Amino acid sequence: MRRLKAGRAFEIATMKLLPTLRDFLGRLFNKRLTRVIVTVLPFLLGILATVYVQNFLRPIPILAFRMDIGMAALVFGVFLTLLLGAYFFGDESRGWFARGEMEDVRREMDENRRQFIRRLDHEIKNPLTGLQAALVNMSEVSVDSDRHRAGENARHALNRLKRLLADLRKLAELEERPLERLPVDIPALLEDVVDAIQSLPAAQERKVNLMIARVPWPFPPVTGDRDLLSLVFYNLLENAIKFTTRDDSVEVRILEDGKDILIEVADNGAGISPGELPKIFDELYRGTNARGTEGSGLGLALTRRIVVLHDGSLDVRSRQQDPRGTVFTVRLPVTRR
Amino acid sequence: MKDERSLILLADDDPSIADTLAPFLERAGYHVLTVSDGAAALDKVHSHRPALVILDVLMPRMDGREVLRRIRRENLWLPAILLTQVGESSERALALEEGADDYLNKPFDPHELLARIRAVLRRARPGERSLSTSWILSALDLTLDRRARRASLKGESVDLTPKALAVLEYLMTHPDECVSRERLLEAVWGWEYPAGTRTVDTRMAELRRTIGDDPEKPRYIETITAEGYRFIAPVKGG
Repeated sequence: MRRLKAGRAFEIATMKLLPTLRDFLGRLFNKRLTRVIVTVLPFLLGILATVYVQNFLRPIPILAFRMDIGMAALVFGVFLTLLLGAYFFGDESRGWFARGEMEDVRREMDENRRQFIRRLDHEIKNPLTGLQAALVNMSEVSVDSDRHRAGENARHALNRLKRLLADLRKLAELEERPLERLPVDIPALLEDVVDAIQSLPAAQERKVNLMIARVPWPFPPVTGDRDLLSLVFYNLLENAIKFTTRDDSVEVRILEDGKDILIEVADNGAGISPGELPKIFDELYRGTNARGTEGSGLGLALTRRIVVLHDGSLDVRSRQQDPRGTVFTVRLPVTRR
Repeated sequence: MKDERSLILLADDDPSIADTLAPFLERAGYHVLTVSDGAAALDKVHSHRPALVILDVLMPRMDGREVLRRIRRENLWLPAILLTQVGESSERALALEEGADDYLNKPFDPHELLARIRAVLRRARPGERSLSTSWILSALDLTLDRRARRASLKGESVDLTPKALAVLEYLMTHPDECVSRERLLEAVWGWEYPAGTRTVDTRMAELRRTIGDDPEKPRYIETITAEGYRFIAPVKGG
């Protein structure tokens, strides 16, 4: 009975003592200085041991090597120091590396922003110059037909600015507006988009081949915003029409592999140079082909953004000769049942 | 009305807009009063009792929404058009919540503003609440609860996508008016879509299917060839 009591008392005492001890040790080890000392200690002890044992010079055989105790102590000390260092300061060094990485990302973002502003400045400058000239013409010419022409020019410049503004707003809104998530029938959507494209004045007498595989089962739906997805294919097709001539062909192909739906918009137009290919998705980037054509320079950036918001991907392949052409590939995950 | 011409109060803090819109509206036959901030707009509503007020959303001293909220709190039901600065969809939904009869995204064609003004004035019944400020709208068997975002047919709830519901809402608050597809796009989607008119037609087909309206013999929504759509059933607010 008494022993039991004593045992119990001891148990209670340890129970009380243990947390305090743990607490004390915890606090001790949380101090940076302690951790540094504990880490470096084995190394210092190793050196001391080496110096001290040197006097005895009593080599001991370890396997095939011959090694004196002092050397062994040093190696063991260094090893322990490295181990403790990795344990105590691993996180810290990771943080230090990450900080460098973040610095890089920030620098890149700054550069992107500056580039965006430079390009925006350029995109606004041109239509504004046109507008200014048209207004001067309007107030200076007296013939009605000339005034009418000046008015038309002003309206043209205005429409360019409005389109730029509208696309900028779309880009901004994509980040803020919640995405509609409903099942979308991609083949039906593509048929609508191809119809819409072919009713454009620029696409008169142009043929777009739409190829939809129908065997053995219909395409599974994609979850997303039908209107935004139709904008994706509209932009890609409009580009294909814009950068080809009547002698070239434009094709839209759709396939599925059970996980994704794959949509390709292909043409055999002039193609994009390898140097420009990685930049075409940049906001307001204009390739040499795109100079002098209509467009805000935001279409592909917007298209890519929408695809990414749908957990998909947008890629491009292009060649300028033997044979030439461009293929945009959109990959969209199908709805899981 | 002392003058035969209707008095329009135009509140916008940007002089380049107020100075160019006012003469345009005067030429169209209205009397126009311009102010450049929200507080002044509220004063003029009290002192001049305009037939219609056009409010910019972003204004110094009091923004357009706050002005409208105060006007409605005083049980003044004069028609109001909000000019929204940014095309955020949340802002368009709010415009209705604060009791705007219509709204336009900047930049807009002045002719579009004129069309809005005419439609809103034609619909307005002096001193009465307009449909735009009613939470529950009903027409024949169809009821729309705007706050709950729910439509029902003969008391049975029907399943509509948010876009289709917003289309129905816009049509029901603008009954007997020919609403173009472009107008619907701007009001409901907030963007101009290049393939937009088809986008509208797709939603319209969904809406008609759901409420069981035959496009050949419509009870609710009539198609006006090459123009747009019109809600033909009489709408009651509540």
